[in-house]
Amino acid sequence: MIAPAANPTLASTKLIDPRALMSIRSLELRARAVVEGFWSGLHRSPYHGFSVEFTEYRQYTPGDDPRYLDWRVFARSDRYFIKKYEDETNLRCHLLADQSRSMEFGSLGYTKAQYAGTLIATLAYFLYLQGDAVGLLTFNDQVREYLPARHRKGHLRHLMLALEHPPGGRATDLNAPIERITTLIRKRGLVALVSDFLAPLDRLERNLIALTAGGHEVNVFHVLDPAELNLGLDQPALFEDVESSRTLYIDPAAARAEYVKKLDAHCAALRATCSKLGIGYHLISTAQPLEIALFDFLQQRMRRGRQFRRTGSRPGGGA
Amino acid sequence: MSFLAPFFLIGGLALAGPIIFHLIRQTTKERKIFSSLMFLMPSPPRISKRHQLEHILLLILRCLALALLALGFARPFLTQTELSDPTRAQPKRIVVLLDRSASMRREGVWPAARERVEVLLRKAGPADQVALYTYDRQAEPLVAFDDWNRSAAGDRVALAAGRLGAVTPGWGGTHLGNALITAAEALGESDAKSVPGPRQIFLVSDLQAGSRLDALQAYEWPKGVEIFVEAVKARNPTNAGLQLVADSAESSRVPDAGVRIRVTNAPESKKEQFKVGWTRRANPAEFVAPPIDAYVSPGQARVFALPLPKDLPGAEQLVLTGDDENFDNILHLIPPEQQQASVLWLGAELPDDSKQQLFFLRRAFSETPQLAVHVVAHAPSAPVLPEAVRAASVIFVSDDLTPATAMALREQVLAGKLLVFMAKNAGTASTLGALLGNDAVRLEEARLKTYAMFSEINFQHPLFAPFADPRFSDFTKIHIWKYRKLEAATIPEARVLAKLDSGDPAVLEVPVGKGRIYILTAGWHPEDSQLAISSKFVPLVWSWLELGGGVTSVATQYFVGEKVPVPVGVDATSVRQPDGTSVALAAGATDFKLTTGPGIYEFVGATRRQRFAVNVDANESRTSPLDTDELEHLGVPVAQPNTAAAPVPASKQLLQGMEAENRQKLWRWFIAATLAVLVVESALAGWTARRLATKSAEVGP
Repeated sequence: MIAPAANPTLASTKLIDPRALMSIRSLELRARAVVEGFWSGLHRSPYHGFSVEFTEYRQYTPGDDPRYLDWRVFARSDRYFIKKYEDETNLRCHLLADQSRSMEFGSLGYTKAQYAGTLIATLAYFLYLQGDAVGLLTFNDQVREYLPARHRKGHLRHLMLALEHPPGGRATDLNAPIERITTLIRKRGLVALVSDFLAPLDRLERNLIALTAGGHEVNVFHVLDPAELNLGLDQPALFEDVESSRTLYIDPAAARAEYVKKLDAHCAALRATCSKLGIGYHLISTAQPLEIALFDFLQQRMRRGRQFRRTGSRPGGGA
Repeated sequence: MSFLAPFFLIGGLALAGPIIFHLIRQTTKERKIFSSLMFLMPSPPRISKRHQLEHILLLILRCLALALLALGFARPFLTQTELSDPTRAQPKRIVVLLDRSASMRREGVWPAARERVEVLLRKAGPADQVALYTYDRQAEPLVAFDDWNRSAAGDRVALAAGRLGAVTPGWGGTHLGNALITAAEALGESDAKSVPGPRQIFLVSDLQAGSRLDALQAYEWPKGVEIFVEAVKARNPTNAGLQLVADSAESSRVPDAGVRIRVTNAPESKKEQFKVGWTRRANPAEFVAPPIDAYVSPGQARVFALPLPKDLPGAEQLVLTGDDENFDNILHLIPPEQQQASVLWLGAELPDDSKQQLFFLRRAFSETPQLAVHVVAHAPSAPVLPEAVRAASVIFVSDDLTPATAMALREQVLAGKLLVFMAKNAGTASTLGALLGNDAVRLEEARLKTYAMFSEINFQHPLFAPFADPRFSDFTKIHIWKYRKLEAATIPEARVLAKLDSGDPAVLEVPVGKGRIYILTAGWHPEDSQLAISSKFVPLVWSWLELGGGVTSVATQYFVGEKVPVPVGVDATSVRQPDGTSVALAAGATDFKLTTGPGIYEFVGATRRQRFAVNVDANESRTSPLDTDELEHLGVPVAQPNTAAAPVPASKQLLQGMEAENRQKLWRWFIAATLAVLVVESALAGWTARRLATKSAEVGP
């Protein structure tokens, strides 16, 4: 059985119980509660610009902007070099939120949609505080709403409102939002996909390849209810598919082993895809405090940032 | 217990239903929303032993309801055999009636009947009372109830079988009605009260159609007496019988008409060609004259005429050949003989004078094949031979007699003779007085202006009894021109049998000693009256002949068992039987009863002998089976034979089953029990459900 890994560094800190967190009605307040205690500016910008901090020299090739020629080097070595600086510009971050009806399921008193919304709101708020531009795309069996990445006053409120829309649709289509976001964002940035991924993964890999090929840093947040992870229900009942309304008589005791096996295979396939494409994969149980998810995400980004600086290659650039 | 519709018991397989449903964990009605069923497969129903144990009482009730319903639909009934369990049965009072009529002589019938009787006797319980009767014309006890009761329980069957072994079928007719009445009355005797159980008559017989049941018509069958018919079948179906057809008056006038016989062939017969002819007793198989061919199809009867055997002494039996059974093939026959009678006429009339009385008397007594009456006319003046007087049955006196003759006649009358005195004229009064022994008798010629008529006639008297019928009682057409007045008061013992319209007596009867003198105050010749030319004359003179003993109806043909009247004039002292032995007749015996077998019998007297033939009852030849419905129609309840050995046909068994089921209606109880169980089950199920709901409500919060 797959279980989200507990983060030892957070073990000692006081985490907010998701149940308590979800009792806060305002999504923004929830985000603030989570982000509180985290420091800003953790991440590095992958974009190189012309700012104060020098990074490297590069030999001039025709076509380069002659404004960036280092004339001092030319004077000393009679060669044309371009002087490159680290550009600490704001990150353009796009958050893809699954609002299909399967996200309405929840066995802990709150739904996956609430949990995922809070997670996205937390990320958005966190990024917003850092001065990053945050965009949002919600989807179910089609793209529902798209808010371009911006960093301005009131945008975050719009974003929170969009997140509070109730889930809908008859199915989950993971491909449409990825294809859409691939065509919409030209500039490289961060893409975070939050979903329960309870849909066929046939074309997902191809779309993720397209997304990562655009130079985006992609993170996948796989949100599942504990009851979904281990079919933690006792009594046999008629199970109704929340999306298709199909019913089946299920005795959990009898069906559990087969279910877990299939779910594990599903998760393993998704994890393998993400690993292959250099996509950060986070399997999150809704019973898990949000801080852990956020911490994992940030830790992974920092790790990638260090890796990027060490290898000089772009994160997510492919192996 | 048996079932009328046993295939409904297959419904009992439905018992598996509740058991399976109790084994299956109850499918929940609860619906749960789940995010996706893409990793789930439908679960099969689960079987739980725990569940079965929890509701075991409910399960039992449901199974019981289904089982009772299936049993009810199968329409159960208790079979007769279960009801008549010998261990539970009350002691019975049984009469076994064994037919020993002539028809039981058929091949194979008697041994089978004896065997049936012995089986019945062996089946009787120790507490049962049994009597064994044999019957033909009458039923006679072979083993009475007292004999049975006196014997030890183990010896009873041996006793009855021993007595039964000495019995053989007789020659008598089958008077089944008499036998049944005798048996029913034997069952109804007072000591029957000591046996509270059923009263039964087991009839062991060939039950032939010739059995006579007429006695039952006037008998009210006692309640509670059942008849079980144990019919015995003959091996050979073919049987033809021979009977004598009574001669009619017309045939009597034909001389040498021979005898007429009727040949009847049984409906089941396989043969239809027979021979009938005269044989001698010594050798019945040999025809003494050429036999006639008798073709009689089965179920039919035909009459044949056979000439009487002439010059063949001893040929007194007709034999039929060609059928399988011999008991009714011989017909013993006494050829008819002409009787002789004598009448003495004392008068001066000429026999051929058509105006005289004698002329008419001679013609009234004309000869017939049965009887020849000799009218002996005698002149009144001549002395009368005593032999002639003794031989005469009737003495007619129409003229004055000499005193000696009158005295002689009076003596004869005193000894028993019948004398008819016609008062031809007033002068015969002295003769009449001498005959009557009464000198006071006076006759006086009546003076009539026109004529006189008969007015008061005593039709009760044997003389006028033949005219008692209103069709013949009209005497008004007889005119009487002359008559003699007779003062009846002068003869105190005289009885006036007929009076004239003038009030004077016309016919008187005076008993004299053992005999009688009839006095006619007018003659029948045309000078006196129209009596001789009326239709009343011949019967009247024949009445005198009969009263005088001149005509005796001598029957010569009887059936076995019938009483034969002893003929008057024979003075028989014994009867010679067909086998040559003689049976003495008691003094004063009026009839002979021991006609035990067919043959020629003979009354033997000192001077005369009288023969008569005894034959098997003609009805015995009707050997086709009697329908027991006829007994039912006469109010005799015939029960079904309860023989375990004889398998009951399936259809009959089904009918009996239907009848028993219809009577018992056990299915109602089963349905009622089903409903009761269902009510209990519903109550229990409701209580269980409420209890579970309460428990879950307590646990839930």
